[in-house]
Amino acid sequence: MFGLIGHSTSLAAACELAERLGYPEYAQGDLDMWCSAPPQLVENFSVTSATGKTIEGAYIDSVFVPEMLRRFKTAKRKVLNAMELAQKRGIAITALGGFTSIIFEDMNLLKEQQVRATTLEWERFTTGNTHTAWVICHQVELNAPRIGIDLAKARVAVIGATGDIGSAVCRWLSQRTGVAELLLVARKQQPLLDLQSELGGGRILALEEALQQADVVVWVASLPESLSIDPANLPNPCLMIDGGYPKNLDSKASGAGIHVLKGGIVEFHRDIDWQVVALAAEMAKPQRQMFACFAEAMLLDFEELHTNFSWGRNHITLEKMELIGAASLRHGFQALGLDSLSAPAPSLATA
Amino acid sequence: MPTIQSITNAGSRAEVETSRDLAAGQLIAESSGDELPDFTSPVYKDAYSRINAIVIEGEQEAHDNYISLGTLIPDQAEELARLARMELKHMKGFTACAANLGVEADMPFAKEFFTPLRDNFQAGLRDGKVVTCLLIQSLLIEAFAIAAYHIYIPVADPFARRITEAVVKDEYTHLNYGQEWLKANFEASRAELEQANRQNLPHVRRMLERVAADAAVLQMEKSALIEDFMIAYQEALTEIGFNSREIARMAVVALVG
Repeated sequence: MFGLIGHSTSLAAACELAERLGYPEYAQGDLDMWCSAPPQLVENFSVTSATGKTIEGAYIDSVFVPEMLRRFKTAKRKVLNAMELAQKRGIAITALGGFTSIIFEDMNLLKEQQVRATTLEWERFTTGNTHTAWVICHQVELNAPRIGIDLAKARVAVIGATGDIGSAVCRWLSQRTGVAELLLVARKQQPLLDLQSELGGGRILALEEALQQADVVVWVASLPESLSIDPANLPNPCLMIDGGYPKNLDSKASGAGIHVLKGGIVEFHRDIDWQVVALAAEMAKPQRQMFACFAEAMLLDFEELHTNFSWGRNHITLEKMELIGAASLRHGFQALGLDSLSAPAPSLATA
Repeated sequence: MPTIQSITNAGSRAEVETSRDLAAGQLIAESSGDELPDFTSPVYKDAYSRINAIVIEGEQEAHDNYISLGTLIPDQAEELARLARMELKHMKGFTACAANLGVEADMPFAKEFFTPLRDNFQAGLRDGKVVTCLLIQSLLIEAFAIAAYHIYIPVADPFARRITEAVVKDEYTHLNYGQEWLKANFEASRAELEQANRQNLPHVRRMLERVAADAAVLQMEKSALIEDFMIAYQEALTEIGFNSREIARMAVVALVG
């Protein structure tokens, strides 16, 4: 059995979801009430691979909402309590979705292994970052040529290059894809220098300079609220993969020749009979589209790899990306592409 | 020319924040509050005099309630008497905690604090309602105690921490006792459990509200107390046999009652 730990995108969205699910008391609750609410296992469902194998899954709402980010202890509690619930339900492998894995790493929750009477077993959890990184790279490889970008001649900027996903993307693009040049953008200088040395190349640039030069931009960073991008100063065409969380790049960059694609999203080969996940995830095709990190938990369960496949920072190897990528294709996942955005198939969307 | 105008809160410096950095920046906005309180301050001792009294009174009443339950379930009287003895031992431990800090427990406050649940337990006892009595003592009060002890342990003085850590393990046994009995009699108990929940959970909510200010002095957050209580209570209801939708509806009274 696999699990997904997710959360609503805002307090308002959480209240709306509660209303739609028939919990009016929760829907009327304020932030303090949500801070006091325990995690809930809200849904069970089954998923059938393209190979025909069927596995059982559960969705746990951590009851975290991004408004809690400023409440240090509350955010921590939500993540740990949701993980404890997953373990107590005997779920073999659970993906930490959305802010869950970010909070886990930022707050160093590895040292909080004891939750009440439960000792968390880390091998039951995965950040899903390996699959996310592979999907993003795959999205670059498939979609750049579609808009006339030859990757062998292209400059690819990775914004947030030194993070767990960012560094994996850099490794893959330089060693597997073979792009002309990698432009490395991140806030801290030393990790950038370390990455450059590890890659044996790549140019460290400020964001502004990188954007002026990059044919492809991979964002694995959250965008500052005040960020604005002038499309006139970007190369045309330009492919932008929005791999950050939350995904709001399309509100910042649009215009002729700019193609923004939601990164790290996959589409399953068939509809999944889930209601809450469909409502919570806010996908264009909610019955079959999901975050790649969620899909990683499914893949690990399909493959019976019950281990913390993606864990800690900068441990994502090319071999692991190859393994999860092959599993992704075998079990019927497809990375979200530009064609599925520009020409949605209505029959599929409502199937 | 630069095409990005990125204005951070601090000024006009262009800045890229990774998801992690962003979250970290937001998260550290609130102090982690890792420092322990000053156990010797008058403010702490004042708050402790009520919190400690509640704990002592709670253990005493738990003792009395388990003895009373033995009259309703005679074939379990021996086991219930064993549980009751454990509660008395806990009471002595917590009395020592107050002495250690030089605090006198405010027992009149604590007796009054438990009045609603005590009255409902006594009414149930008179009417021979085992299910109601088990819900009040073995689920609600035990879950309340488990939550309070869990949240207290990280911020307790070293003496009280050792005692509380030993006690909390016992309380799980007690929660488990009620849980197992109700599980074995689930279908026959369901309606009475739902009714007893409606009648008593709002009292737990009000008790948590009443104690919140004093708990805050001890660095125990109200939201953490409520959440921990609900986790223990919901877990028990799950084990007993309710489904998650039923539990969410039953438990919501603790959040907005």
